Amino acid sequence: MSQTPTAGHAVPPIKMGLAISNSKLCMWLFLGTEIMFFTAFIGTYIVLRMGSKGWPTDPDVTHIRVAAGGINTFVLILSSYFVVVAHEAMGAHDYGRARKFLQWTFALALVFLGIKGYEYYGKIDHDILPGHIAENDQQAKAKVLRESEAAVAKRLEYLAAEAISSKVAEKLPEPKDDATKLKALLAEAGSKAEGKAGEEFRGFGEMFKKFDLMKQGILREDLSLDDVESQLTALKANEQWGYVFKSVHEPHPILYGNIFASCYFLMTGFHALHVIIGMLLFWIVLKQTNLQGWHDFVENSGLYWHFVDLVWIFLFPLLYIV
Amino acid sequence: MHDDHSQHEHPKYAVIFGALCVFTLISILADVVHLPWAVKVVAVLSVATCKALCVMAWFMHLKFERGWKYVLLAPTTILALGLPLALTPDIGEHYYHQDVPQAADFAEHEARAAAHHGSAATEH
Repeated sequence: MSQTPTAGHAVPPIKMGLAISNSKLCMWLFLGTEIMFFTAFIGTYIVLRMGSKGWPTDPDVTHIRVAAGGINTFVLILSSYFVVVAHEAMGAHDYGRARKFLQWTFALALVFLGIKGYEYYGKIDHDILPGHIAENDQQAKAKVLRESEAAVAKRLEYLAAEAISSKVAEKLPEPKDDATKLKALLAEAGSKAEGKAGEEFRGFGEMFKKFDLMKQGILREDLSLDDVESQLTALKANEQWGYVFKSVHEPHPILYGNIFASCYFLMTGFHALHVIIGMLLFWIVLKQTNLQGWHDFVENSGLYWHFVDLVWIFLFPLLYIV
Repeated sequence: MHDDHSQHEHPKYAVIFGALCVFTLISILADVVHLPWAVKVVAVLSVATCKALCVMAWFMHLKFERGWKYVLLAPTTILALGLPLALTPDIGEHYYHQDVPQAADFAEHEARAAAHHGSAATEH
């Protein structure tokens, strides 16, 4: 028989299900999906790496710095500690202390992203990006040729436009990217212009001649990788127009470099995205004037943040040390 | 909110933080000291597992939670382990001949590296 509550008799609320709040249960369920999300990447990385004959591990080749990864590990561990202290302070209704430690956590997340950004800059600068990496000598030479041709074409177009604007040439040829006609236009401009502009127009002829020497050597397959590297270095060293080739990367092939870069950017990129989402969660708390009633939110954000720390705990040895 | 873990005495979080820092230092030392590759892999992944257990047990309070943690986390853990295990025979082990350009270049790459190290050793 069911009992009917009557006035004057306090009936304890019946709690069905688990002895945790709904929000915490939801966070744990979400973290369950997150575990599968990241272990899919980590597991795939392990399998791909074990299944490859080789893998780039030399820090001078991969530009992976253990020091940077180690500092970032410390930063995330410290931030995790601060979150747990903030949560403890929320439980003790010491909201000022909780706010202070959440602010520190937010700042440490920024530090983490700053270091990660510095690491990404190094990779982008050396063109260690998925799909960009030459894996053997032939690909490395082809990449030098491709990037040099793009740099020369850009320079050619720029000088042609300069010749028109300084009125040493009448109009751009048709079509505008016809290299032969553009070179003829610059030759004419070089004979008319004086001073620094004239030197630039005339310098292009010399630059193109040296570039073409390297290009023909690569196309005829006469040049070894070392030859191409030394010719590129000589092109870059020219005082007048060497900067044109600044964007051309040194020909350093990395065997299995593309799959390495794909794994690296996929895992660290998604991890960084999670760090940003964690920062947003802390930002939501920090912009509140009164933290009373935000205990559950801080606890659940903290659980999420510890998970972000957990993922990094495995990414650090797998990507930086092994 | 009155979770079951709130009734327990929490450990000194600073001690856990200190342990995590020590584990991180051990990982970095494993990289600095020249260990055989397999030993290094086992060492750093064991240390990472210890760190993960510390974070989960104390920072995430799983040590103080009731049995629901097993019900909730066991399926995801099994599925998480299932993917690499499922991929291993095909991609990890290569029960067939792997015909990719990298595999062909690898022998040449290794020979060149060996020659380079040989000449460097002779110079020294």
